[in-house]
Amino acid sequence: MAGIGFALRKLAQRDNLSGVLRGFAHSAFITSGPWIFTITAVTILTVVGQAALGRDGTAAFRATIIYNFCFSAVFTGPFILPATRHLADRIYERAPESAPTLLVAVLGAIQITAAAIALPFYLLVTDLGPAGAIAATANFTLIGGLWAATIFLTALRDHIRVTLAFLAGMAAGCATGAFAAQTAGPLGMIWSFNIGLAVIEFGLIARVLIEYPHDVGVPLRTREHLRRHWELPLIGTLAAAAVWVDKWIMWFSPLAETEIGGMPTAPLYDSALFAAYLTTLPALTLFTIGVETGFFERYQAFYRGLREHATWDRISSDHRAIIESVLASTRTLAIVQGTATAAAVLAAPAIIGLLRFGNVGIGVFRLAAVGAFLQVAQMFGVVILSYFDLKRRQLWAQGVFLVANGGCTALVSLFLGKAWTGFGFLAGSAIAFAVVYVMVADALRRLPYLAFVASNPSIE
Amino acid sequence: MSERVADICLILEGSYPHVAGGVSTWTHDLIKANPDLSFHVLALTADGRPRPLAHELPGNVVGMTIVPLQQPPRGKEKLERLGRLIEAIRGPLAAMQSDGGLREYAELDRLIGPRRDQLGRVTLMNSEAAFRMTVGLYRDTLPNASFLEYFWGLRSLLSGLFSTLLAPLPPARVYHAISTGYAGLVAARARLETGRSTLLTEHGIYTNERRIEILMADWLFDGASATLAVEGERRELRDLWLDSFAAFSRVCYSACDLIITLYGGNQVMQRRGGAPPEKMRVVPNGVDYETYSKVVRDEGDRPPTIALLGRVVPIKDVKTYIRAAGLLRESVPDLKAMILGPTDEDPDYVAECRALVSALDLDRTVIFAGKVEPADWFGRLDAIVLTSVSEAQPLVILEAGASGVPTVATNVGSCSELIYGRDDEEPPLGEGGAVTPLASPVDTANALREILLDPPRRERLGRVIRERVRLHYDKRVIDRIYREIYDEARARPDRLRMFDRGA
Repeated sequence: MAGIGFALRKLAQRDNLSGVLRGFAHSAFITSGPWIFTITAVTILTVVGQAALGRDGTAAFRATIIYNFCFSAVFTGPFILPATRHLADRIYERAPESAPTLLVAVLGAIQITAAAIALPFYLLVTDLGPAGAIAATANFTLIGGLWAATIFLTALRDHIRVTLAFLAGMAAGCATGAFAAQTAGPLGMIWSFNIGLAVIEFGLIARVLIEYPHDVGVPLRTREHLRRHWELPLIGTLAAAAVWVDKWIMWFSPLAETEIGGMPTAPLYDSALFAAYLTTLPALTLFTIGVETGFFERYQAFYRGLREHATWDRISSDHRAIIESVLASTRTLAIVQGTATAAAVLAAPAIIGLLRFGNVGIGVFRLAAVGAFLQVAQMFGVVILSYFDLKRRQLWAQGVFLVANGGCTALVSLFLGKAWTGFGFLAGSAIAFAVVYVMVADALRRLPYLAFVASNPSIE
Repeated sequence: MSERVADICLILEGSYPHVAGGVSTWTHDLIKANPDLSFHVLALTADGRPRPLAHELPGNVVGMTIVPLQQPPRGKEKLERLGRLIEAIRGPLAAMQSDGGLREYAELDRLIGPRRDQLGRVTLMNSEAAFRMTVGLYRDTLPNASFLEYFWGLRSLLSGLFSTLLAPLPPARVYHAISTGYAGLVAARARLETGRSTLLTEHGIYTNERRIEILMADWLFDGASATLAVEGERRELRDLWLDSFAAFSRVCYSACDLIITLYGGNQVMQRRGGAPPEKMRVVPNGVDYETYSKVVRDEGDRPPTIALLGRVVPIKDVKTYIRAAGLLRESVPDLKAMILGPTDEDPDYVAECRALVSALDLDRTVIFAGKVEPADWFGRLDAIVLTSVSEAQPLVILEAGASGVPTVATNVGSCSELIYGRDDEEPPLGEGGAVTPLASPVDTANALREILLDPPRRERLGRVIRERVRLHYDKRVIDRIYREIYDEARARPDRLRMFDRGA
């Protein structure tokens, strides 16, 4: 009687899989875009700075940049993923009125708290001096704001302008930086980098406000959102920490130097690793571009099929298509990046010679190059998990990564000699990759079950 | 609530005590009519949300169990040999969607019963084994249907089915289901597990009502393609529903000792649904003859008055009544055609009716008086009119009849039986009014004209219907009949229980 009518009515209106197909395209960009940016920017700046000021001159600059990048990543971690998810949901619902509010809220939250944390640290703990501390704080705040603005990257349909904005800002920063290094030293370099960052950040803000011309003040219903997606802040924080934990550990190892009081770094290790990350640019680019076409198309076809009342045979073949595309992409990535990494390993002496680290650096770089390959592969796996909204698995993946990376690095540093430096990173990345690989393979194999039942928010 | 063994466990679906309506009121009266018996109410609802009661439970209701059909209990997260269990229930479940009956339901109870405290929706519906079973059933039965729709449709059906198997069965001496469907399944389970007497009273026929709902929902889904005729051999998603409900009915008819319904017309459908004739019995609704027979007829100077007593909704087809009033007024110029019933359920339809009244220039003839107390009006009415397109056993015909007011009604439900008497009426009393075809203002007007312009005829019809109500539809008589049924059921010794056979 009443029960069946109710059920039938709900069936007529149902949009059952609405939770899952909320555009996760941005996941790729969010993860690899800023990462690409980080690596390139830091490396270029360091090289440019070194050319201008020599190694010692750039110590303050290098330390500040590294600290700001890594801690801003960790600090903004809990904000970024939930905000990204919120925006994706609203866009899916075709109700993006809250976009400007979200932007202002996240920017405000991040940048105000960032400044409040960074200033005392730089002022009181480090030897940067007041001027340096202010410049460093501004830098930290701006980088944090940049990560906030990246939430909107794929929400803005104009990818080309966005990329150009990044390039323009970076170019501006580097160019003025090289010039400023000559005239105003490290302080000048940081401020010119800040200018570049500001250009990017404000450019992105302007773009967002143009594409979403709504008033600020739309309620965000944050508490409800966080209740439903509580894993996201945690995943964001763990992900950032996992990437940086090995560097942090090395900053307290025998390899560490404290060129600026209060900010220990391990220049040999850091630079070798950043150079190693650079070698993964082919994979990062391929993934960002390739995902848009191959995997994402099949992924959308799968969910569209479900919604458009496909038969099981069609669902089954769409499922197989996804698996095939993942396998194909993996093969391509493995070949391309494998070649790049192999070349890097072979050309290590030349590369290290460029960076002037001596022979120890060769070994670290080689291990790090392979490790970096595995690390970005792990990141790709996590992105795929995020496409299918497998939050619990993402959480585990990042947790394992954090423990593996940190644990292996610590163990290697404590018990094996300097010659083994970088092996912890490699081992940690390998373990993390293996775990994610198993998770992704399992998820892909059971995709229909996950889509209909296990990950379906309509089922409790 | 209480562990006490109740005398009667009433099993209802989407009705008492949360939903107001005819069946709900009937149930309430049944409980009140037997104050010395203890009742346990098992109410099957859609979901577990707390809802206000439409009736305050009488003092002899010693317990109430609410079973949310769309939300079986969670159960444990994991279960040993779940895969094996799911494989074992697949066959009976498939049968419950096609030609299965009590044997298959018993098999499900046998498999699920022993692990009732561990099983739930996590294992039976959300596990991977359950998903695989869904895919398997889909491929066997509806391989070309929308998988999404099949998934949710099956889920909804199985939710209810599993709920009936997992719910706690209150201890009672007699189990009385007030419909087939899921309530019928619970009754069957009670019979299987306790061996006690099980009764069924059907007001409307569940499978028929669901068929109408499903066809209407089909129209919601895809507009054009809903026809009442069967289109070709292709099995459709709606067959999943229809066949399942038919199977549920068969289960209930097989398990119950007595299959009661309100009137003979219903029995035709029950027989078609598999009810064994030897278990079937007609026990109609009863009305308070005592009170209504005391209504004094106003013979004074008043215009000829007819009335339609009922909600102003499309199923009552008030427009045909209005048109009939228009035709009738030509012969009876001072006619008053009252509409006595609430107008708040379907404001659009009410507006259309009012517009029709105005268009036919009947503003002084057709009067909307809203919800009234019928007893206040029967004395002033010369006839009541029903133009409904669907009815079961309208109490208003009996109440008016007890007051000596004849009825002109459409040939739906039991109206013909009430007005002309049952085929086996002994002695045959004759006509207590007139029965007309549906949606025919001309026929309705003609029948009313014969009554209003022929006072002796009106009196004769009134006398017949009053006598009929006194003899066969007096609440006290009906209450006694039910009490006898209950007494007999309570006294019956327990039969063999399913689990006694060492199965």
